[in-house]
This record gives sequence, C-alpha cells and structure tokens, in this order.
Amino acid sequence: MRVLWLQRLTCCGNTHSFLNYEYLSSLFSRVDYFFHPSLSIEGEEEAIGKVGDIDLLIVEGAVEREDKALKSLAEGSLFVMAVGSCAVYGNIPALNNPEVCGLQYRFKEKGGLLGEGFVSRGGLPVINLSGCPAHPSWIVGTITSLLEGIRPKLDQWGRPKDFYSSLTHWGCTRNEYFEWKVEAQELGSQKGCLFYHFGCRGPLSYSSCNITLWNGVSSKTRVGTPCFGCTEYDFPRVGLWETRQYAGLPAELPIGVSKRGYIMLSGVAKMFAPSRLKDED
Amino acid sequence: MRIERLLMQRVEGEAELQLLWKDGIVEDARISIPTSRGIEKVLIGRPYMDALVIVPRVCGICGHAHLMACVQALEDILGVVPTKKARLVRTITQSLEVLQNHIKWFYLFLMPEVAQADIYRPYRGKRWIDAIEVSSRITRAIALLSGQWPHASYAVPGGITSSPKPSDIVDLGLTLDLVKGFFQESVIEDIRKFLEFCQSEGLMHKGKAYNRLLSGGNLFNGPGYYMDRVIHGRLKTYMVEEAEPPSYSLAYPVRYKGLPFETGPLSRLLLLPDPEVRHMHRKYGDSFGVRVLARVKEIGHLVGFLEGVIKELKDRLSEPSNSLKRPPKEVKGYGLGVVEAARGTLIHSITVEKGLIREYRIITPSQWNLGPRCEKHLGVAEKAMIGLDRSEYAKLVLRSFDLCSVCTTH
Ligand code: SF4
Repeated sequence: MRVLWLQRLTCCGNTHSFLNYEYLSSLFSRVDYFFHPSLSIEGEEEAIGKVGDIDLLIVEGAVEREDKALKSLAEGSLFVMAVGSCAVYGNIPALNNPEVCGLQYRFKEKGGLLGEGFVSRGGLPVINLSGCPAHPSWIVGTITSLLEGIRPKLDQWGRPKDFYSSLTHWGCTRNEYFEWKVEAQELGSQKGCLFYHFGCRGPLSYSSCNITLWNGVSSKTRVGTPCFGCTEYDFPRVGLWETRQYAGLPAELPIGVSKRGYIMLSGVAKMFAPSRLKDED
Repeated sequence: MRIERLLMQRVEGEAELQLLWKDGIVEDARISIPTSRGIEKVLIGRPYMDALVIVPRVCGICGHAHLMACVQALEDILGVVPTKKARLVRTITQSLEVLQNHIKWFYLFLMPEVAQADIYRPYRGKRWIDAIEVSSRITRAIALLSGQWPHASYAVPGGITSSPKPSDIVDLGLTLDLVKGFFQESVIEDIRKFLEFCQSEGLMHKGKAYNRLLSGGNLFNGPGYYMDRVIHGRLKTYMVEEAEPPSYSLAYPVRYKGLPFETGPLSRLLLLPDPEVRHMHRKYGDSFGVRVLARVKEIGHLVGFLEGVIKELKDRLSEPSNSLKRPPKEVKGYGLGVVEAARGTLIHSITVEKGLIREYRIITPSQWNLGPRCEKHLGVAEKAMIGLDRSEYAKLVLRSFDLCSVCTTH
C-alpha cells in the first residue's frame, strides 16, 4: 500500500497524535511507501511524482476551496481519508474564512472541496476521522484495516463506525454520577459529573475517547475536564465550559433522551442518590 | 545577483526561504510562511474560558505552552493564584512537552540532514524509531496529569482539573529513567557526532545572528537577557513590541527595546548558566553549532529539573487542585501570561470585558526567531544566514531555530 499524508491549514496536532501510537514502526514496515511532510526526506512534489498510484491519501488540515491540485490527487486515489476535524469540517481555520472548508463538509453542510457526491476509486466517500485531534488508534486502525482489505463501515458523517458509533460518555468514570445526577460543583473535583454545570459534551458527541484511552492512559473527563465535543461539526461552540440551561434544564439533552424522561428520571435519581457519591472526601 | 527559493522540508508546517546570492555569498535572506489560520480573531467575543480550549490549537507540538500562557493571563485578570500543587503539575507537563519537542526535533528534523548513517533514516532507522518511542512515552506521562496530549485543557484559572495520584508519581519517575537512559546512551553520542560534523563543515563559526538573547524564564531559569556581553537578570515585558511586517511576510516582527533578540534554549542555558554552553558561546558566539548544542543539552537539564519538581509534588498530592471553585462570569480587565515554550518565550495578552474576550494577542517564540525584518533591523534568522556560502548551510541554520511555521503566523 502506498500512503501519502499531506498537510494544509493545520497545527500539525494530528501528526503528533499519530506519532503517539505505540507500534508505529510495525505500521511503517507493513506499507510499501509512506510519505509524510514532517518525516520523509523528500518533499511533497517529489513524493507525488515518485509514488505513482496512491492507495491512500490522508489529508490533515482545512483546505482552500480552490485547491485544485489536492482535488485531482483525491480523484486519483483509491481511498481518501480526512484526519482531524479541520480536514473533516474546516474547524477553526474555516470559522473566519468562507473560502476554507473540509474535504467533504464545511461544518454541517455537505460539499467541501470534493463535493457532496465524491466517491474515491475504491468506492468510498472521504473516510472522516473527526476529532481535534483524531486519536492515534483511529488513524492507525483505519490505515491497517484498509491494509488488511477490510473496508470500514461509515456513519452518516463518513466516520468509521468502529470508532464513532458510541458516545464519548461511554466508559467515562463519572457515569455513576451522571446516572444519579450528582453534579460536580467545582472544577478540579474528582467527583461528580460535568454535564450540568461545565458543558460536558460526552452525552452529545460520538467518539471512543473513554474506551480507547488517550496516550493509553487517560481522557479529558478522567482528569476532570469536560468533553468539548471536538469530534462533532459544531466544535468549537461558543461557551465551551458552560451548559446552557432553560428553566433549570440543560438546553441540549443527551442524544435520544426526551425532556419528560430527563425530568422524571433526574428527580428520582437525585432523591435516591447514594451518599457515597455525594460526599467529597 | 541571483534569487534562490527553497521550500523547507520536515518542519512544523510549511515555509519558504528566499536567498539573494552575490558572488557566491548570501547577501539577503527572507523567510516567508504562506498561510495563517487567524486564531486570535476566532477568540474575539467569546467567553474568556473558551480561550483555554482554542489556544492550544495554535500549535500541535507546543499547545501545552499556549495553554499555560493563556491560563496565566486569565489568572492575572481574575487576580487568582493557583495552588502550589497545581503550579508544580503545570510545570511538569510544560517541561515534558519541551522535552519531547527537543527529542523529535533533533532526530526527526535535524539528524537526517547532518548524518547519513542508516540509524538516522526516517521510518526505518533505529535511532529514529527510538526517538519516536521515547517521545510517545513522554507524552503519555503528560497525559497522566492532563488527560491527553496533544490539546489538553486541564489548566484552569486557580489551578488544574486533575488530581494526580501517588501511582502517577511512580509512573513519572519511571518515564524519566527511560528518558535519562536514552539521553546517556544515545543523545550524548549523537551530540558528539553532530559537533564533529560542525567542526568539519566550519559550522561552529557560522550562522551567527545579533548575539542578543532573551528569556521570560518560567521553567528552570529566571527571566533576563544577554546583550553586549552582559547578562541582565530582568525582563521588562512592557518593552516587548510588535513591529509592522514587510510585504512578503504574514508574521509580525517582535522587538525588545526596539531590537531583535533570539529566544529559546540557548538563551535559557546561558542564563541558567550551563558552564559548557557558556564556554562555547564565549568561544563561538551565537553560532549554528552552539545554538543546536544548547537545544540538545537542554534535554539533560530538563530531566534533572523534573526530578526535583516531581519530588516536591509528592508531598503535596493531598492539597487542593484548584483555588477557584467556579470561574466568575462578569469579568473585566487586562492580563499577561509569559511562559517558556520549547522554542523560547511565549507571551499571551488578553483583554476581557463583561466576561467576553475583547482582544487577544499572542507573541510566539518563532516570531522572535524567525519573524521578518522591521524598518530598522533584519529578523534574527535572516541575519544569521547572511554571509553563508552554501544553500545547505542556510537551510541548516534555519533549522537550528527549530522552525515552526504554524507558530510564526498563528
Ligand atoms: S462527565 Fe461527561 S462524559 Fe462523563 S459521565 Fe458526565 S456527562 Fe458523561
């Protein structure tokens, strides 16, 4: 497999996330050719000339709408992968610039650089690995599954279901607090759920951050930082540490939960919450 | 007269170097960085806490330093002081970030350029792979305290959101042992090889800039600057100013007392001082070889420094993580944060009104080092390239500043 990784408008965060992967050298030994602008000796143009047919084109960073060169490379590639929310949705670089977008989206609008109907030679739309940055296991996992000839099943945003089919909330160590509606009252406390006061997007975002941990050891919510929903198109929302509320109720409820259900359950949960959860030690 | 355009490979982001040759000598040099992502603009009008999430995204390799500069500026506005424990934890993660940066820079960006041996070859070389593995162990140690690396937002006004456990202390110690081993077994040997290369190419004498060096000093050294052979133990931040950029650049030049200064490991080790670096600097000045030597030697200093900080933290684990329960809403004021990032002094200044960001300014180390000329003076790296006689040397000199284009224009 010949892999070409290109960067556009980026902070290079996905590159450094990728470099965290534990078995990187075995990945490199399994591909026929790997180009990365921060790692390879040759430059981008030389690599494009040398590689011939591209099996996997990876793009990191938001793109400009008139990037024709990138478009034609994508059209000639067997598979195209957008790594990180900038390449997927445009993200921060697109916020103030209407000419900047992601490969197949601009925030929630379909289109982007390659167009709504884009399908690569291998028959898939852009494989979107959203996240700011994307987790190394999602990046390497997708590359290796293509290497094994397994086509990733994608969700409605073009994201591999293997990594994006469950909520970030899954596996969070604060789940029990969430269930009993015991809320963290202050930042820096080990106890309590961050959904009600600190804007946690865990129940509103899809990612496996709390299942496949970051750097193998942790996650935002495990260290008391709320999830900011960086795998979703609306990242970064305004008011990232706040939960918007109407009449004491979060303006956005966990995906699929009705207002009535939330009110009823939280009333009961609060009433019967075990005291071991409520007492700070 | 001939103009040569060189695209820089293997740097953070992309950059173009233009050299003006006359009689085989570089007569003028310009560094241009083609893109800017406009992060400061994105911040305007947002609640001030949002900055803690957005600013790390300025740079994938030094995002943590941006977080620290931001939280300090916010604390300055709010008039809150972080708990001692939080301060120690922040120092640890910030230092670890610098550590992984230097290792990656040396083995991914510099060594493949100076040494032809197979062990330095990208993707397959033993040293190259070891360097990536050690770096990922370091970033893992950061994540123990900050939740993830890159792009954590665990530092908040008054402290941190995490509560490190005794087992984390043990883990940090083991990581440092690993880094120390790598430093003693591999890095020291490679520094020797590097210095041999410099001697044979005459690079100990080349690539000198203004020989003015400065550091904000919040890691292991105090603040100060070096100028006209004298070390001054203070830095007046109000004398730091941005100048108008020339037409070829998107980056703003930065000046201290109206003059260009270099910032980074060489400044820090000179102020510390590290006797060897001071000796070499006295002998060769702020040359390519000395600059690189300082950058790599800082790995060893950071390990020693971290061991001390971790020991201190051990006795404070039961202290509170945060002195501010909840960030207040109605906030107004101006605040400044000055921290040491891998590449040097990083400054964030924020104006907040009614809890919303009215102005956000970032001065990055790369603006000091790689920023362009102002009306009166060439940029530091531009100056360092004048008089060189080969374009390979010019590229190496540029590399010695640890070129990061994403930080230069941000
Ligand atoms: S902190 Fe966030 S992810 Fe964790 S349980 Fe609460 S809402 Fe879910």
